[in-house]
Amino acid sequence: MTQAPLLTVHNLYKEFPIHGSMLEQLEFRGGRLIRKRESVKAISGVDLEVHKGESLCVVGESGCGKSTLARVIMGLIPPSQGKVTYEQHRIDNIKLGNLLPYRKKMQMIFQNPYASLNPRMTVRQTLEEPIRFHNPGLSGAEVNDKVASVTQSVGVDPTWSHRYPHEFSGGQRQRISIARALAVDPEFIVADEPISALDVSIQAQVLNLMMDAREQRALTYLFITHDLAVVEHFGSRVAVMYLGTLCELAPTRKLFATPQHPYTQALLSAIPKLNQDSSDYIKLRGEVPTPVDLPSGCVFHGRCLQANERCTREVPELKLYDDTSIACHAVEEGRI
Amino acid sequence: MSLLEVKNLEVRFAMRKQELVALREVSFSLEKGERLGIVGESGAGKSVAAFSILNLISKPGYISAGEIIFEKRDLTRLSQVEMSKIRGNRISMIFQDPMMTLNPVLTIGTQMTETLHAHQTISKEEAKQRAIESLAQVHIPSPATRFDQYPHELSGGMRQRVVIAIALITRPPLIIADEPTTALDVTIQAEIMDLLMVLCQSSGVGLILITHDLGVISQMTERAIVMYAGRIMEEGDTTEIITNACHPYTHGLIGALPQRTAPGQRLNQIEGVMPALASIPEGCAFNPRCPLVSDVCRTTRPGYTSIGSTRVACHNFDAGNS
Repeated sequence: MTQAPLLTVHNLYKEFPIHGSMLEQLEFRGGRLIRKRESVKAISGVDLEVHKGESLCVVGESGCGKSTLARVIMGLIPPSQGKVTYEQHRIDNIKLGNLLPYRKKMQMIFQNPYASLNPRMTVRQTLEEPIRFHNPGLSGAEVNDKVASVTQSVGVDPTWSHRYPHEFSGGQRQRISIARALAVDPEFIVADEPISALDVSIQAQVLNLMMDAREQRALTYLFITHDLAVVEHFGSRVAVMYLGTLCELAPTRKLFATPQHPYTQALLSAIPKLNQDSSDYIKLRGEVPTPVDLPSGCVFHGRCLQANERCTREVPELKLYDDTSIACHAVEEGRI
Repeated sequence: MSLLEVKNLEVRFAMRKQELVALREVSFSLEKGERLGIVGESGAGKSVAAFSILNLISKPGYISAGEIIFEKRDLTRLSQVEMSKIRGNRISMIFQDPMMTLNPVLTIGTQMTETLHAHQTISKEEAKQRAIESLAQVHIPSPATRFDQYPHELSGGMRQRVVIAIALITRPPLIIADEPTTALDVTIQAEIMDLLMVLCQSSGVGLILITHDLGVISQMTERAIVMYAGRIMEEGDTTEIITNACHPYTHGLIGALPQRTAPGQRLNQIEGVMPALASIPEGCAFNPRCPLVSDVCRTTRPGYTSIGSTRVACHNFDAGNS
């Protein structure tokens, strides 16, 4: 990968304050007035590169910060610290006006097609809006052509374009939101759990559609999901997140064949597989800690079977071993 | 004698314009201590089937035909009073979302002992003792403290453990679990499923597990039922169904799983969508999506044919046709 990455995320932090007003922050402790501020640490120090043409999957359990990562990358929420660059241009701190050309190149597909489509807009209006907004020069006929071709490419009958979202099934709606993302001919798509709200047989249809689009349009994907079976199928590289940090980043095949990080190993062993006994999964201790009060050292140490004293104290760095990046003291010390 | 026997169950919803048939010709039985899985996509009728066993179908729905024999009694004929002696006592139910099932303004302990007091004459102290034992049984750390806590103080996985503890507290012979782990993460799901399985095995509790996840079905159950548009499409030994599916729908469902195709290849998709109840096609409900469809499928609803341990509703398996 000698080419410069399409998108880089450098040392990204995102905190959401959950403390109330000035008065609510004040607290008496030991006879003194203390100002206490609390925040949810959604992302703490993530470094990531997305190369042109690849499909990078981000997996993790709920609350690990994967959706926040997607939103920060898309510029929907500003990061607390760190930077996001697209084709070597910083996009996290620029004005909205300067962001517009990037919005045309980067599009997002959301999880719930029941919530992400405007119920008062017909399919045609939903699809026309981004086309007209990003290509003000197009004539009416050109816009019509564009809408027709994009609806056809996602397998929605163009004669239905005067209908409203409620007239479509979940799978069809997700096709429409994919069409909306593809309408402006983007090169990079962030998909946040695009198939988790759909039924199994429909998931396959939508996944196929996304893979077809990848081939035809040479798209680059950042695919956020919790479903590892989908990752194995779809992704070229996988990033595993836990409590706002990256645990492991590896080519898909390698990650599934030889997971290194103890969390990745537990996660992979927990997927229910066909024709297999359920008893041989790795049992983790305890529960996911709250992101308000992150554990010291490695955030995973409380549940990790390999943790030692150093893990409770020192935050492991993401280190590169061949083509796999792992943040784990045990791997570094050769204990596993 | 089976623990539960459902015979030709039919559930209808009386809508203003028409009667919708939500379940049709549903028959199955469950032996003592057996684990049965019901799998299907949303709208297939799997939850309606579970709710009708407990007579929880509310208006405009009603059971229009069939029998549900449980412990020698037909549950469809029982009054609400008699039924409430069975619910939570002889048959317990575990729902999908533990935050919705637990009452947020009552402590865990109140909710647990409530169940005991409703069904048994038991002293307060004894009930508390039983509740704490039950919490320990589902591996909740420091159960005595948890007893006095409220649901919001527990994580999702812990809450679902409490729900399981409540379901088990009266030591029922049958538990119905409707998507018990869908709201949970994979690592937590594995723990909960493991726990449910161990508890069912050790105390000989029968389990009906409703889920859309074929992986869960294959790990948890001995027999499985595949439902589509309110009808059982295929029923049989779980491993047999997973490895040797007869019905084209089961085939499609298993084939559509990403792990069934080489990475990067197109997935085998089933074209189309499940029909709405109001527009279930004539003949076999699956015929518009079926790759093996023939003329007879469009006109006649297929009956059940037995192939080994499997029972399948498909014209391709009619006598002399396979």
